[in-house]
Amino acid sequence: MLILISCGLFFVTSLALVGLRILRPEARYTWLVAIGGAMFGFVSVFLWLVQLPLNIRLPGIPTLDALNSTLVFTADGISFPFALCIAALTLSILLTAVTQPVYVNSLIWAGTLALGGAGILAVTSNNPLTLLLMWSALDLTELVINLRSVNGASNNERVVISFSTRALGIGFLLWGSMVSISEANTFEFQSMSARAGIFLVIAAGLRLGVLPLHLPYSSESNLRRGFGTAVRLISSASSLILLGRIPVGILSSNLTPFLMILTLIAALYGGWTWLRAPDELNGRPHWVIGIASLAILSALSGNPVGAIAWGCALILVGGALFLASAQNIWLNRIMLIGAFSISALPFSLTASVWTGSLGFFIPFVILAQALMMAGFVRHALRPANRDALDEQPAWMQAVYPSGIILLILIQVLLGFIGWDGASQIGAWLQAIIASFLTFGLVWASRRFRIFNPVRAHWVSSTESRLANLYQGLWSIYRLLGRTSQIITQTLEGEGGIMWTLLFLVLFVSLITQVGP
Amino acid sequence: MSAPILWIALPFLTGALIMLLSSERFSAWIGGTVSAILALIALLIPIDTALLLGSLSIKISPAVQFFGRSFELNTADGSLLAIIYGLAALWFFGTEASGTANRFVSIGLMIVALLTASIAVEPFLYAALLLEIAAMLVIPLLVPPYQKAGRGVVRFLIYQTLAMPFILFSGWMLTGVEASPSDLGTTLQSGIMLSLGFAFLFAIFPLYNWIPMLMEEASPYATGFLLWALPTFTTIFALGFLDRYTWLRNSPQFVGSIQFAGLFMVASGGIFAALQRHLGRILGYAAIAQAGLLLLVMSLQNLEMVNLVFLTLIPRGLELTIWALALSILKRQANSLQFSDVQGLARKYPITTAALVFAHLSITGFPLLAGFPSRLALWQSLTNDSLVTLFWIFVGMFGLLMSAMRTLAVFVMTDDESAWELNESWTQILMLAIGVSGLFILGMFPQILQPLLTNLPSLFEHLGQ
Repeated sequence: MLILISCGLFFVTSLALVGLRILRPEARYTWLVAIGGAMFGFVSVFLWLVQLPLNIRLPGIPTLDALNSTLVFTADGISFPFALCIAALTLSILLTAVTQPVYVNSLIWAGTLALGGAGILAVTSNNPLTLLLMWSALDLTELVINLRSVNGASNNERVVISFSTRALGIGFLLWGSMVSISEANTFEFQSMSARAGIFLVIAAGLRLGVLPLHLPYSSESNLRRGFGTAVRLISSASSLILLGRIPVGILSSNLTPFLMILTLIAALYGGWTWLRAPDELNGRPHWVIGIASLAILSALSGNPVGAIAWGCALILVGGALFLASAQNIWLNRIMLIGAFSISALPFSLTASVWTGSLGFFIPFVILAQALMMAGFVRHALRPANRDALDEQPAWMQAVYPSGIILLILIQVLLGFIGWDGASQIGAWLQAIIASFLTFGLVWASRRFRIFNPVRAHWVSSTESRLANLYQGLWSIYRLLGRTSQIITQTLEGEGGIMWTLLFLVLFVSLITQVGP
Repeated sequence: MSAPILWIALPFLTGALIMLLSSERFSAWIGGTVSAILALIALLIPIDTALLLGSLSIKISPAVQFFGRSFELNTADGSLLAIIYGLAALWFFGTEASGTANRFVSIGLMIVALLTASIAVEPFLYAALLLEIAAMLVIPLLVPPYQKAGRGVVRFLIYQTLAMPFILFSGWMLTGVEASPSDLGTTLQSGIMLSLGFAFLFAIFPLYNWIPMLMEEASPYATGFLLWALPTFTTIFALGFLDRYTWLRNSPQFVGSIQFAGLFMVASGGIFAALQRHLGRILGYAAIAQAGLLLLVMSLQNLEMVNLVFLTLIPRGLELTIWALALSILKRQANSLQFSDVQGLARKYPITTAALVFAHLSITGFPLLAGFPSRLALWQSLTNDSLVTLFWIFVGMFGLLMSAMRTLAVFVMTDDESAWELNESWTQILMLAIGVSGLFILGMFPQILQPLLTNLPSLFEHLGQ
C-alpha cells in the first residue's frame, strides 16, 4: 500500500498543479505546492525502508488467470534504490527550477511530478506484464512530449525512431516472456528460463540505445535541463530495472560473449564521445549510453546488483550534473563526489558493480569506466553557459544548491544503506586502476588536442558512419518494397484473378498433400 | 414482440425509411440512436424471459417463421446483439463526422439487419445466402452514384459470390458425412469445399487483394465498415460450423489448415503493410492481419476459444471505426491518402492523426491499448503449441508496428515550424476522443468486457462448454 501512497502523492500533486493552473493561474504558491508534494513523496519512499519488502497485487486480465496475469508491484532491495533516486530527482528538479526561465510554467512541474510517479510504478513492476504496461505508458508520454517540443523534419524523425526502438524493446520483452512460458510455464521474472533472459537483456539494450548502438534522443529539445532531464533519466531507469530483475546465473548462453562485445563497443563509444562532448547537455545521450552499457555489462557478467548500482549512478550523478544551471565554485567541487560515486571504490554507490565474471573483457571495461569518470570531472569543472549563482536573489541562492546537494547526499547514502549492493568493498583493485586512468585522462585532456571537445564536422562524420549502417538496412527495406510491389501488381492487375486462382489451387494441392 | 422482428425487421425498415430523409445529420443521429437503443435492449432485457414492470409483463419471444424458415434469437444471443448494435451505433454516429453520404446509414442498417438474420436463420446454411445479399447491398456504399465500379469492387463481389456455392454445396455434402462418417472420400471433399467457401469469405491469401484495392478506390469509411461487418459475421458463421460438426473441429488437418492460413495472413498482412505508401492500403493490410488472427484463435482447441474470439472482435470494431473515421477526415483535407499528400498533417490535424496512430498501434497489440489483452491471451495460448507459430505472428505484428511508425513519421516530419492548431470540427473531435478513450479503457481494464463475454460461450453448444 505504501507504494501506491508514494506514487499517489506525486500524481495528486500533479493534478493539483493542473487544477491551480486552470482555476488560479496567478497563484504565487504553486511552486510551494509542487515542492510540498515532491517532498512528501520523497519522504514516503524513504519510509519503505521500515517495511521492506512490500508487495501489491492488482487484478489483471480475466481470461488469463491460469498464467498469473495479475499486476505486481514490489518494493525490495532492487526497486527501492531506483524509487528513491527517482523521488530525489523529482524533488531536485523542482528545487533547481527556481533559476530557470521557465519556472513560472506550472504545467512542466505537473509533468515532472506525474513522470516521477509513473517512474516509481515502473521500477517497482515485478512481472513482465506490469513492466510492459508501465513502459508503454512512459513511452507514449515521452513521445507526445518530444513531438510537442521539437521542430524540424529531422528532429521529429529522430523522436519517431527513438519511440520505434523502445517499442521494439517492448516486443523483445514480450518475446522473452513467451519463451519463458513455453519452457517453464511461468510469467514471472524470478523463474525465467535461461533462453528468455537473453531476450530481456536485448530488450533493455534496445530501449537504452546500446544494442544496437544508436542515439535514441534528440538533443534539440526545448525542454533540456529540468523536464528534459526527468524524461531522459526516469525512462532509462525504467529500462535498467529489468536488468536487476533477471535471476542470477541464467545469462550463461552462447550469445552472451557476442552481446558483451557489442555492449563494450557501445560503452567505449559512449565514454569517448562523453569525454569529448562540448558541454554536459549535448553529451547527455552519450552519458546515458555509456552508463547503460556498463550496467548491461554488469548484468551479463552475472551481477544484476551491479546493473542497479549503475542505474542509480545514471540518475543521481547525471542528474546533479545536468540540473546544475547556475555557476558556483563550491557547488562544482561538491559535485566531484559524483566521480567517487561512479569509481567503484569501496563503499561508493558503485562498489558492487564489478563482482561478476568479466573474463578478458576487464581491461576494456576499466577503460570505458575511466572515460565516463574523466568526462564527468571535465564537465563538472568546466561549466558552460551557466549563470553565476551569486547574481541570483538570496532565497534562490539557498534553495538552488539544496537541489543539487540532495542528489549528492543520496549518492553517498546509498553507498551504505538500504539495498543489496550497499556497504561493499567490491573489486577494489579494478576501481583503483580505473581511478588512476581517470586522473591520467583528465590531465591529458587539458594538454592534448585529441581530447578537446568535438567540433561539428567530427560529430557529423561519426554519426554519418552510423548512418551508413542504417542506410544499408534502409536499402534492404527498399528492396523488399520493390518485391512486394511486383507481387501486388501481379495480383491486382488485369490477370490478377487468374493468378489468384492459380495460387489457390497450388495451396489446396499443397495442403491436401501435407494433410494425410 | 419477437426478437427477430426487433433486431432484424425493425432496423431493416428503419434503414429503408432513413433513405427517404435527405439530411445527413438526422440520418446519422437516427441510425445511431436506433442501434444504440437496440444494443441497450439486448443488454438489459433477456430474450424469452418474462419481465414484470409493475402490472405490465414484457416478454420478447425468441422465434418467428418466415417463408417456412425459422429465425431464432435466444437468451444467449443477447450479449452478441448488444455488441453488434453497440458497434454499429458507433459507425452510424461517426458518419456525420466522416462526411459520408446519408445512404451510408440507411444501407448500413439494412446490412447489419441482414447479417443479424444470418446468425438467426435455421437451417443455418441459409446464412450463406444472407451474407451474399449483404455483400451485394454493400456495393452502393462503395460506388458513388452514376460512377463506374472500380476493379476492387468487382473483385470483391466476384469472390463473395464464389463463396456461396462452395458453402451451400459443402452443407449438402456434410449431411452425407453425418449419415456415414466412415466415408473418408466424402469427408475430404466436403472439407475442401467448406475450406474454399470460407477462404473466399475470410479473404484468405491470395484472395485478399480486393481489400487494399478497395481501400484505394472507395470511401475509407464505407470500406472500413465493410471490413468490420463481414468478417465479424463470417467468424460467427464459421464458429457455428465448428460447433455443429464434431469431426470438423477434431480433424487435425482442418485445424492445421486454419492455423496455417491464419498465420500466413498475419505475417503477409503485416509485411505488406510495412511496405505501403498509402494510408488506406495500410488499413487494408492491417484488417487482413486481424482476420488472420481471428483464424488463429479459431484454430485453438481449448475452452477459452469462444471468449478469445469475442475478446478480439470487440476491440477490432472500435479500432476500425476510429481508423476509418480518421482516414475519412484526412482524405477530405488532402484528397489523397498517399504519404506525399498527408506529410506534416499532424500540426494541422493533431487529434485525427493521433487517433489514427493509436488505432493502428492498438491493432498491432501495443500494451495499454484495446488490442493488447486479446493478443496476449492468444500468444500465451500458442506458446504451448509452437514458438515457430508465435515467431511468425510476431513478424506480422512487427510489420504492422513498422507501418504505424512510418505513418507517424510522415505525419510529423515537416520543416514547417508553424504552431499546432485544431482544424477538426467539434463533432470530429468528440467522436475521435470517445473512440481513443475507449481504446485505452479496453486496454487497461479489459475486465469491463467480462459481463458481455460471460454468456457468449453458451451460444455454441460444444465449443464453449
